[in-house]
Amino acid sequence: MTVHMKRHGESKRGDASDGREAVGGRLSRVDGPPKITGAAKYAVEQQLDGLAYAVLVESTIAAGKVRSIDTEAAESAPGVLRVLTPDNIPPLKTASDWLGTPPPDAPYYPLARDITFSGQHVAAVVAETFEQAVAAAALVKVSYDEAPAIVDLSDAKAGDGIPIDAMTKEWGDAEAAFAAAPVRICAAYNTPREYQAPMEPHGLIARWQGDQLTVWEPSQWLDGMARTYAEWFGVPFENVRLVSPYIGGGFGSKALALGHGAVAAIAARMLERPVRLVMTRPQTFTGYGGRAATRQTVTIGADAEGKIQSIVHRGVNETSIDGMWVEPLGSTTSIMYATPNFSSRQNVVRVNSVVPGAMRAPGENPSAFGIESAIDELAYEVGIDPLEIRLRNYAEEDPHAKKAWSTRQLREAYAVGAERFGWSKRSPQPRSMRDGNQLIGWGVAAGTYPVRRAYGEAMVRILADGSVEVESSSIDMGQGTYTILAQTAAETLGVPADNVVVKLGDSRFARAGVTGGSRLAGVMTGAVHKAASAALDELVALAISDPRSPFHALQANTLVVANGRIASPRGDGPEVSIAELLASVGRDRIEAKGDTMPANSTAEERYKNYTTIAMALPHTEGDYSRYSWCAHFIEVRVDEDFGTVRVSRVVSALDSGRLYNPKLAESQWKGGIIMGIGQALLEEGIVDRRHGRIVNNNLADYLVPTNADIPDIEVISVGIPDPHSSALGGKGVGELAIVGVAPAIANAVFHATGKRIRDLPITLEKLI
Amino acid sequence: MTSKTRIPIQLQINGRQHELEVEPRVTLLDALRDHLGLTGTKKGCDHGQCGACTVHVDGERVLACLTLAVQAEGRAVTSIEGLAQEDGTLHAVQAAFLEQDAFQCGYCTPGQIMSAVACIREGHAGSDDEIREYMAGNLCRCGAYPHIVAAVRQAAAEVAS
Repeated sequence: MTVHMKRHGESKRGDASDGREAVGGRLSRVDGPPKITGAAKYAVEQQLDGLAYAVLVESTIAAGKVRSIDTEAAESAPGVLRVLTPDNIPPLKTASDWLGTPPPDAPYYPLARDITFSGQHVAAVVAETFEQAVAAAALVKVSYDEAPAIVDLSDAKAGDGIPIDAMTKEWGDAEAAFAAAPVRICAAYNTPREYQAPMEPHGLIARWQGDQLTVWEPSQWLDGMARTYAEWFGVPFENVRLVSPYIGGGFGSKALALGHGAVAAIAARMLERPVRLVMTRPQTFTGYGGRAATRQTVTIGADAEGKIQSIVHRGVNETSIDGMWVEPLGSTTSIMYATPNFSSRQNVVRVNSVVPGAMRAPGENPSAFGIESAIDELAYEVGIDPLEIRLRNYAEEDPHAKKAWSTRQLREAYAVGAERFGWSKRSPQPRSMRDGNQLIGWGVAAGTYPVRRAYGEAMVRILADGSVEVESSSIDMGQGTYTILAQTAAETLGVPADNVVVKLGDSRFARAGVTGGSRLAGVMTGAVHKAASAALDELVALAISDPRSPFHALQANTLVVANGRIASPRGDGPEVSIAELLASVGRDRIEAKGDTMPANSTAEERYKNYTTIAMALPHTEGDYSRYSWCAHFIEVRVDEDFGTVRVSRVVSALDSGRLYNPKLAESQWKGGIIMGIGQALLEEGIVDRRHGRIVNNNLADYLVPTNADIPDIEVISVGIPDPHSSALGGKGVGELAIVGVAPAIANAVFHATGKRIRDLPITLEKLI
Repeated sequence: MTSKTRIPIQLQINGRQHELEVEPRVTLLDALRDHLGLTGTKKGCDHGQCGACTVHVDGERVLACLTLAVQAEGRAVTSIEGLAQEDGTLHAVQAAFLEQDAFQCGYCTPGQIMSAVACIREGHAGSDDEIREYMAGNLCRCGAYPHIVAAVRQAAAEVAS
């Protein structure tokens, strides 16, 4: 549970009178004060008596079997409480997946005997202190029978993989139309393994009290993870409490309970002590999956004016030997441009890797690298401006679903972005703009992300002192949930945002589904709005009808609440504070739990809604197709001699519908753009081809952008409220902005140098 | 473990003396977080690569994960918890971070702020490019860099005035 009092003495934060507190206002982060003073306690920072410390030991081969584990030295090391291995760890039950698919009736061992990737958990040491556990873990000797590994997609043993028929999207006759098109381009685009690399490593504290399990763990999905822990250990869902007050970044990686969590919870049960287990930074590269490496071919057939006649797209992503991850590579390809003929198919290829996972805009991001690079290539082939070719092929409706867009401000994004960037001053020829030794390139690309929707729930309480409490087991990992829910409750109830306390990150609160796919803000503002409206209705009804109320004699049909005070809309009669009203009618609180589920939903359906993603609402449900949109205009400077690329200017125009808090939304957009700059220029998991290891599994060698890599970034909102996407008119924010950044940079690099780089990241050796 | 492997040390942290017994291999970072409950200083990599653990030792920025607790004996350590005044008045850098929205998840933030205070004190906040360079040792995966630059620029101006 986390409480944020909003009185933090910031002088320029603004108050109710300047509109910052209402939905859509630029209220500063209400969870800011604890974060800037060090008071914010993240999950594994809870100080518990009797805490023991666990450290994982991971496999050093990518394929084969553990022959034996010599734990003698480790067990006799100072302070060691237990060494867990596949030989002595008690089995758990296999849990259902995130769709809720019933699991096989088979045991689950979070420490492996059969090795399918390097870095797999094979043992764990638990000791009295962290230092003792680290030292003893180094004494565990594992011997293996090694087998040949498929190290990555380019491995000769990898093969063509498994067709994923559900990914096939086809209309018209794409192959024939391509063959008949007067202008044809065909190219292959590759993206490497990339890693979420949140600044807070994954870890947890697990504590058992009888058959009750409490887990303090950074989590994008408390209820989903609680379900998994409950199923693993065969205890009721209600017996598991997840606590995740702050999350030090997730980017898709903290939504699921993982093997290390099972190990810690097993150790805690065996030792009857709370156990803390935090991955080392290197372990975060293999303890869960980053973005899968991908390969795409994009062929476009067009007429002489650049009007697309056909797109044929083939994609491949890697997955693990025994897990399945599909990175939907045709997702952007199939909706960005109008085309009468289209074909997209996808395979997955098994390699000896941890199963890949979700990383900011899974699917849409690598998909956009393909199509948004290819459309740029087509522009040069036809000889027209890269912005013009996008307008000529503008999709006036969803070309795949054949439905109207709910809102699509992409044309506006192109216009506003181009104007602010100065696109009209671009010299079209590659290598035609320079500043001394630096070649200058200007590139454009679009991005998109579907509006993912779900049902939500929230508790709103009006307390005796007139303050308001909002509770939800949803979370804030920096997107601004604490803040926008305070704004939503304040606006709905007519109280100052200062009087609203938002409590998140505890699975005992009103349930919440996954924080992922940019769905949470839309879901939760809707749920809080509904719950707060119910609380307001009850408050007003009390004021009108209770004989003890000062408004009883007024015989009003309704009352208004503004700035925490209740009055008649006609201005006659008394005006009292909420606290005074509650005191007069003898109530200490008004409580309303609101949810947006269909009214006749069963308990099972509610459980399923919050603990799986099976009840998510399709973004093409009904008459509309719902997406967020953006256009990135990017300038690069390429050193002509050394091939070094610097991004020197970014202007992005984005359509996320209505923004609940533009100040925080702009921060998220810029963060997505910066991660996109990393993807374009820096980020690549490098595989040792002999051992199948990620050799750059640390923050010095896996390069994420630093402050010195990033220029000023201008973001402009071109969105309009979208009533089909959410209760309050917003679309997705967090995933969107990374989509299209890498192709915009690749396109700018082509404009600067005349070299088309189709393999990310764009590093200097590819340019010289 | 026997108590013989521990050694008594005194640490002066945020103006207060703390006496504790630690193994010699305990880092200043773990001493702060696990032994003293001062968890504002963050552990992001434990290898001096990310800057999340930045504290001041005798006024200079130091990576607490690469410093043994015993090395800090007899020196003045300042962590994020010691930056605001006793009455809660925020340091100019803290206030600027809040106003400029120079963070999202908040995990790198204490290190960024400690680095920023030192960056200004070192005289390395003279231009945006200089700020970017001298703040480049503190990684932020949420991508708050442009706002961090704005916050440091603003705080530097306030400190100077």
